[in-house]
Amino acid sequence: MTPEPAENVTNGEQSSAEFAALRKLLIGPEQNRLDELSHELESRELTVEDVADRLPEAIALSGSRDEQLGRALGPTIETALRESIRRDPQEVATAIFPVLGPAIRKAIAETMAGLVRSINNAVEQSLSVNGIRWRVEAWRTGIPYAEIVIKHALVYRVEQAFLIHAESGLLLEHASAPDLDVPDADLISSMLSAIQDFVKDSFHPEEGATLRTFSVGDHTVQVEAGPRALLALVIRGQAPTEVLRKEQDTLETIHLEFASQLADFTGETAPFAPARPLLAGCLETVLTTQSKKKRRLVWLRWALPLFLVVAAIAFLWARSNMRWNRALAALRAEPGYVVVDASRGFRRWNIDGLKDPSARDPRTVLAAAGVEPPNLAGRWQGFLSLDPAMVAARARRTVDSLERAVEGERVFFDAGSSEISELARDRIRRVAILVEQLDREARALGGGMSLQLTGRTDPTGRDETNQTLAQRRVQNVGEVLLAAGVTSSKLKPDPVATARPLEATDADQRARINRSVSFDVVVSGATLPRGGTK
Amino acid sequence: MIQKKICMVGVFGTGKTCLVQQFVHSIFSVKYLSTVGVKIDRKEVQVGDQTVTLMLWDLEGRDGTHDVSPSYIRGAHGLIYVVDGTRRETLDQLHEIREMVRGAVGEIPSVVAVNKIDLVEEWKLTDADEAAVQSRGLQHFRTSAKTGAGVEETFKWLAEATLGKAEA
Repeated sequence: MTPEPAENVTNGEQSSAEFAALRKLLIGPEQNRLDELSHELESRELTVEDVADRLPEAIALSGSRDEQLGRALGPTIETALRESIRRDPQEVATAIFPVLGPAIRKAIAETMAGLVRSINNAVEQSLSVNGIRWRVEAWRTGIPYAEIVIKHALVYRVEQAFLIHAESGLLLEHASAPDLDVPDADLISSMLSAIQDFVKDSFHPEEGATLRTFSVGDHTVQVEAGPRALLALVIRGQAPTEVLRKEQDTLETIHLEFASQLADFTGETAPFAPARPLLAGCLETVLTTQSKKKRRLVWLRWALPLFLVVAAIAFLWARSNMRWNRALAALRAEPGYVVVDASRGFRRWNIDGLKDPSARDPRTVLAAAGVEPPNLAGRWQGFLSLDPAMVAARARRTVDSLERAVEGERVFFDAGSSEISELARDRIRRVAILVEQLDREARALGGGMSLQLTGRTDPTGRDETNQTLAQRRVQNVGEVLLAAGVTSSKLKPDPVATARPLEATDADQRARINRSVSFDVVVSGATLPRGGTK
Repeated sequence: MIQKKICMVGVFGTGKTCLVQQFVHSIFSVKYLSTVGVKIDRKEVQVGDQTVTLMLWDLEGRDGTHDVSPSYIRGAHGLIYVVDGTRRETLDQLHEIREMVRGAVGEIPSVVAVNKIDLVEEWKLTDADEAAVQSRGLQHFRTSAKTGAGVEETFKWLAEATLGKAEA
């Protein structure tokens, strides 16, 4: 490469070749280098071997710088995995089996441990010696069981929380109840992890198993172990399962939020100061979390029977009220009753008023209304009711008594005689008076009456004689009745002679009572039924 | 606050426990040594403007041997080997113990406390012995649990070493 002669430069009609020569003179070296590079690029082929050589190195470099490679490869790996599983699930299953088994076992074990604890708690709560003792105390002192439970209710208190570095046993952070002074938290922390080691060395439990709880008096230390840190809670009283769950959550959160600090820990605890609120979150003084449930239960235990008792009383009261009202209504509606005053005590009814003698017994009235009175008391003043039913009943009764009086009379004769003695004549006259009254009463009831005269003889003698004798006896009695003012139309002669004899135990007696005329009343057309007034 | 886990190992009777007894804050009784095989004490050491809290794990080999549990040594930041200056064999056993400890935690700052220097008449170690210790790369201090000589220096040196500030 030599420079062009200088005289050519000033020439006005230079050929394009000359211009090119000038350009070459000015930027020639650079142009050449560009051409070389261009050629180099074109000729260079990045071989697969080159990539294979550099790839691991490149990935390692990228990974150490930042997480961009991971993010970039993520979707591809996911797709590849999906494709692989789709093609042959067995292959992947076999590959991840060693990881999956322990993971599932651990998850199940954790769940079961929680479950067992909560079952234990429940059983202890309902069947504990305490529970029985409290019941006895409640029974003995007369204080309601609910109060006894509250008095003794176990207050649980999470007093301290230790966050302990798993490997060195050093205390990373500590939180305790405000009134508690724990100057040796770091020593306790180290000793706790030493004891963990001691237990592990002594009993050789399976991989990952740790001493989880131990109790001294009413203090329980509950330790949750994570891969890099332990969280130990010092609890006073009976902690419910929620405390354990919270402890696990807290430990997991700490592992997440302080992952790098935990990994890089060399003794400087300052980076863990922000974990203090998390630990403090585990502390709590709970007055009877369990007995809150219990109290609710106890409340129910009292409320339910109370409700039942109230309901029963209300029901009985309503029923009693109903019966009372029904009884009063029945008595008021009953003819011949006037209820003046009615009051009710405990199982005792007091009803005063007026009662027609013809009216039914009050108990009968109530029974008819379907009411069984508990203890019926009361005074009934007699009165005559003008209630049509009562009037009718009274008339009926009069009719009945007159009827009985008439039918109770009998006129006796000597053997073979139809003579009426003076004594008998008086009796017949009395019958006549009764018949007159009876007739009046029967008419008042809207009916009428007749008097049948049954004439009998004793069985001695011939039948024709007896028949005649019977007729004469009837006729003689009838005449006396007519003379006493009884209208003849009412008289119905019935000389049966020996046809329907009256019975007696001995023959003489039988003969005597059959030598007679007896009276039978027939009331007709009386509209009101018999009965009701006995 | 900086805390360091320091393990104290040594054959039975070398005075490990006595060595720390008067100079440390302790809440656990000596009984722990024979029961769980470890007793933990606290010693605060000033390094420059920093206070380092040394959690001292006093380890006792089971049955009085030097066979300490590796679990206890796990996570330690420093070690104190205690040798009895009146019993030469304790120095020989030091190396066995050291191998075991190395297997458990690897190479960590360590110091040898050659104890009982107050018992001058019974002293069995020669200068050569101590030089041998030094030659193995182990810093050593002569100490006396009785007089307190060398104790502070031992702890201070180890505290500095765990912070990477000790001069060999």
